[in-house]
Amino acid sequence: MLRVLLVTDTDKPIGDLRQALARLGYDMLAEVATPAALPRVVEEQRPDVVIIDTESPSRDTLEQLAVMNETAPRPVLMFSNDADQQLIRDAVGAGVSAYLVEGLEAERLAPILEVALARFAREVQLLKRLADAETELADRKLIDRAKRLLMDRRKMSEQDAYAMLRKRAMDQGMKLAEVARHLVSMADLLG
Amino acid sequence: MNISSPAPSIGKPEKTHIRLGFVALSDAAPLVAAKVLEFGHRHGLTLELCRQPSWAAVRDKLLSGEIDAAHALYGLVCGVQMGIGGPQGDMAVLMVLNRNGQAITLSNRLTEAFEQHGNLKDALATPGRRPVFAQTFPTGTHAMWLYYWLAAQGVQPLRDIRSVVIPPPQMVDALIDGELDGLCVGEPWNAVAEARGAGKTVAVTSQIWPDHPEKVLASRRDFVEHYPQTSRALIQTMLEACRWLDNSQHRKDISTWLAAPDVVGAPQELIVQRLLGHYDPAQFPVQPPGVSFFNEGAVNYPRPSDGLWFFTQFRRWGMLQGDHDDAAVAVALCQTALYREAAASMNVRVPEEMRADVFIDGRVWDGQNPAAYLDGFTSQKSASAG
Repeated sequence: MLRVLLVTDTDKPIGDLRQALARLGYDMLAEVATPAALPRVVEEQRPDVVIIDTESPSRDTLEQLAVMNETAPRPVLMFSNDADQQLIRDAVGAGVSAYLVEGLEAERLAPILEVALARFAREVQLLKRLADAETELADRKLIDRAKRLLMDRRKMSEQDAYAMLRKRAMDQGMKLAEVARHLVSMADLLG
Repeated sequence: MNISSPAPSIGKPEKTHIRLGFVALSDAAPLVAAKVLEFGHRHGLTLELCRQPSWAAVRDKLLSGEIDAAHALYGLVCGVQMGIGGPQGDMAVLMVLNRNGQAITLSNRLTEAFEQHGNLKDALATPGRRPVFAQTFPTGTHAMWLYYWLAAQGVQPLRDIRSVVIPPPQMVDALIDGELDGLCVGEPWNAVAEARGAGKTVAVTSQIWPDHPEKVLASRRDFVEHYPQTSRALIQTMLEACRWLDNSQHRKDISTWLAAPDVVGAPQELIVQRLLGHYDPAQFPVQPPGVSFFNEGAVNYPRPSDGLWFFTQFRRWGMLQGDHDDAAVAVALCQTALYREAAASMNVRVPEEMRADVFIDGRVWDGQNPAAYLDGFTSQKSASAG
């Protein structure tokens, strides 16, 4: 069951969503009404979705959780009575997955929550793929540097240098990039 | 100063009504003064002040165009420029609005332990939970001052403490409720904490980095490109307001406006105390420099090396990776040409481009070699591969 956290520190009727969402079968966590309580609740209760007012002072508290804590990002739904939704939607950041409009009937909330979750899952996957690609590139640079070190100092051909790194990786049960990292850092040490 | 003389005209503003965002802090004083005294009229502008409930809201509304410019944390603007933890946007720093004037407050319990042990590291190790410190925005200035101050005393901010963001007006309550051990925030909130007996101001930010840049007048790059005359007129207007604030009677005058519930909403006597740079003499036998808004123009030049410093700290704390040219990004961010034109038309002196500052830990920042400066911090996250 989806665990939903409502942040109710403004006087907009966001708290009214509680019963409506509970009726739809969501697990509603105890509401958070002060920003000071928010970090602990997010960490301990691990809500699947956070619903917060665009004008809530607690928004900066959520931003900190998203930037500093890799486990914290989760879909955040903004609750706004702004007529021109497009304006804010253009500025939507990494953690925000959807906007709710004030006065929306509860029955129409369920599909929005589902879409937001699906989109969030896809974004996390994309971010991970991007991070993987960056590591791969960094690894390749590292292996190149190690190869060049061997070619320069041991007067090896590129092929031989590569073969030596591979053999070493096999013998020691390490990744090629790890062997390269050791070699490069030792070379730095020896100057 | 003769207020009735006609404005030095460079060209009529393309857009005359400006929506300015601000957050409930004493250093929003230049915006409030500019509105109260209508400094904009002389430069062809009408200002509309829009108070924002959070820095995230300032950012979103700047990006969406709902506000044209804002009183913003320097670090927030740098964070948006790099797309850290949120949307990326090409930003513009039109000028620096103030330097110094922020502080670090410790809870009564921690203040006592600090005095007993004589150093912060041991004081923080006194039995109990992992210490919790509050600041105002993940990439913001207060986060950077707090982390720098802690690290200078051998406390690793990413490991030894828990750093949370709490909106300034709620920090004092959180301190009273025992949820916080310390905080770094703008005024008057440190003064309010002290007045309510919740804690003690133990350090002010001019002790961490003398004359550090704090709030800037921020806008979007495309706004400045579309409305160069308006942007210049806005710099002229704010320069006039900052100059007006360099006078203790004027600071007293503005504190009454700042105290209003729809501006800062805090007692006037606490606002004025810190605006005048008065700190408890028991804690500060030698009074450290307080907030400055103008200082013959030394405050306001948007020096790119100021912006570059924030990028070095984002890298230090693992918030920024990648090999973009940070110095070039800072140069594009800071609207120095526009600022120089505005300053010249107002007979405001532009300070030297080069500045070398000595920080609390003895390190010197002169903006010349950010990579070497960054390498000098031992507490940075382990170097990435490659």
